[in-house]
Amino acid sequence: MNIKIEVMEHDNLLEVKLAGEIDAYTAPKLRETLFPLSEQEQVNMVVDLTDVGYMDSTGLGVFVGVFKSIRSKDGELKLIGLSKRLIRLFEITGLAEIMDINSQNEGEEE
Amino acid sequence: MENQSCVNIQTEWDIVAARQLGRNVAKELGFGIVDQARITTAISELARNIFIYANKGRVRIEKIYDKGHAGLRIVAIDNGPGINDIRLAMEDGYSTSGGLGAGLPGVKRLMDEFDIVSSKGKGTEIVATKWIR
Amino acid sequence: MPFREVMEAKYRDILTKYIKEQSESTLYIGQKFSRKSIENQVTPEEIISLHKMILQEIYPDMPEYVVHSFDILLEIMLGYGFAYREHQSLRNQQKELRSEIEIAANVQQTLLETKIPSVEGLDIGAISVPARLMNGDYYNFVEDENDCISIAIADVIGKGIPAALCMSMIKYAMDSIPANRNEPSMLLENLNRVVEQNVDPSMFITMFYGMYDYARHVFSYASAGHEPGFYYDGKKREFSEIYAKGLMLGIDKKTKYRQYEKNIHPGDMIILLSDGVTECRTDEGFVEKETLLNYIRKYIHCSAQEIVNNIFKDLEKLQDFQLRDDFTLIIIKRRV
Repeated sequence: MNIKIEVMEHDNLLEVKLAGEIDAYTAPKLRETLFPLSEQEQVNMVVDLTDVGYMDSTGLGVFVGVFKSIRSKDGELKLIGLSKRLIRLFEITGLAEIMDINSQNEGEEE
Repeated sequence: MENQSCVNIQTEWDIVAARQLGRNVAKELGFGIVDQARITTAISELARNIFIYANKGRVRIEKIYDKGHAGLRIVAIDNGPGINDIRLAMEDGYSTSGGLGAGLPGVKRLMDEFDIVSSKGKGTEIVATKWIR
Repeated sequence: MPFREVMEAKYRDILTKYIKEQSESTLYIGQKFSRKSIENQVTPEEIISLHKMILQEIYPDMPEYVVHSFDILLEIMLGYGFAYREHQSLRNQQKELRSEIEIAANVQQTLLETKIPSVEGLDIGAISVPARLMNGDYYNFVEDENDCISIAIADVIGKGIPAALCMSMIKYAMDSIPANRNEPSMLLENLNRVVEQNVDPSMFITMFYGMYDYARHVFSYASAGHEPGFYYDGKKREFSEIYAKGLMLGIDKKTKYRQYEKNIHPGDMIILLSDGVTECRTDEGFVEKETLLNYIRKYIHCSAQEIVNNIFKDLEKLQDFQLRDDFTLIIIKRRV
């Protein structure tokens, strides 16, 4: 039920590092943080989910919303560090086909 | 003492002056200790709101009489940004200044009558009255 | 006699007694007094004022500094009185809200209720349990005149009231789609457009839709991002995933859905579920797919309804009776 969000901005890149769980309790905080960032013009955002132990469908909802928002401003969103379980979630829902899910896993498999 | 006096609210010290005025009038009218404290706190909240949100305004304290009863009326006026959603501002749990339990609902509870007129861009006027029991 | 009228006398009594002798029984009486005052909405500042007044009565020579200290204490406690009263008010509001939600949940139950069809040659069981008060999962059975049963199972992303309201909208959309357009892929495409148009942009829906032709025993289906179900081959006694690819509803109104078909033989089973089933978690971690399938094997000789009921009970126990997500499980057995 806890989430840690770190945002680092350098050059043209917005790096977001997440840790903890993304569920119905923490998703609102995630949305509040990412949404304003997603509304800037041509944002280049990378979200690292390596330390995210659990994400349910509410988390998905946040990412889809952020994705749509970034896309509408000609930006790019990339998700990295997804565990096997998270990749499966994105694949089943069909989101893996429309979003950039790049799992740079350093042996972090479930 | 005249039946009404006014304090301009521009600095934080003015809040204290308004409190003092209110407490004096409340004493004169014969309010008990607890009610004096309640009235003063209500004035304090309203003056503070003016100070924080509107930058300047004024608080008027009136002695009023109705059918043999004496009472104290607070009129807080400002030309600030006004309250966008009065219903929201009057809801418990809603607070823009992080305070616990105070705000407009708190003032309403301290006094007997409470009235507010406010709209976005048009300032705010709050009238609150307490009667001697 | 109203409490406020006796309050002063009572408090004087307690205070004098305790000053004279600091006994536990007086403290206990004090506690009862406290409860009574709170019940009667006596504020903290009133108690302090009472205390000061009585003290001054008993000790007319009370030092000035003590008197002043009470005055400032009173002012400070006013703030606590604020907070307390707001708290009470919020508690009452919460009670009201809760009963409103319970009513809404009952209405939802009634509106979204669906009957399990009774068809010769098939044994169907279904269970759907919300994690909270309102159910974000939805399932629906429809029998038509062409010897077909359609089965829909959907999950609104998000929980609670907003999700459930969304469900009602889907049911009505589904009920109003004409029979000749109920081929799985077509239905999902139509529904997708409705959802994209009407649903809050932050809500998404996964859905699996299938049609069982019980004359030919062919199951055709399509999925919009929904958790894959399972097919049990009665002869080989093996489970396999019912795989169907498709994007969740409500994201892109031009999404196309692929339709699949499977022949169902006697002894075969179709198992459909929501992610509340596969996302079961215990202290040790997720309940793996194998565990779920083993539970199904365990009850395989029971009726479909018994199987789903038992599996629910087992998984509920595994999770210490705390559901994390709405749980929906449907089993269709072709009789031998």
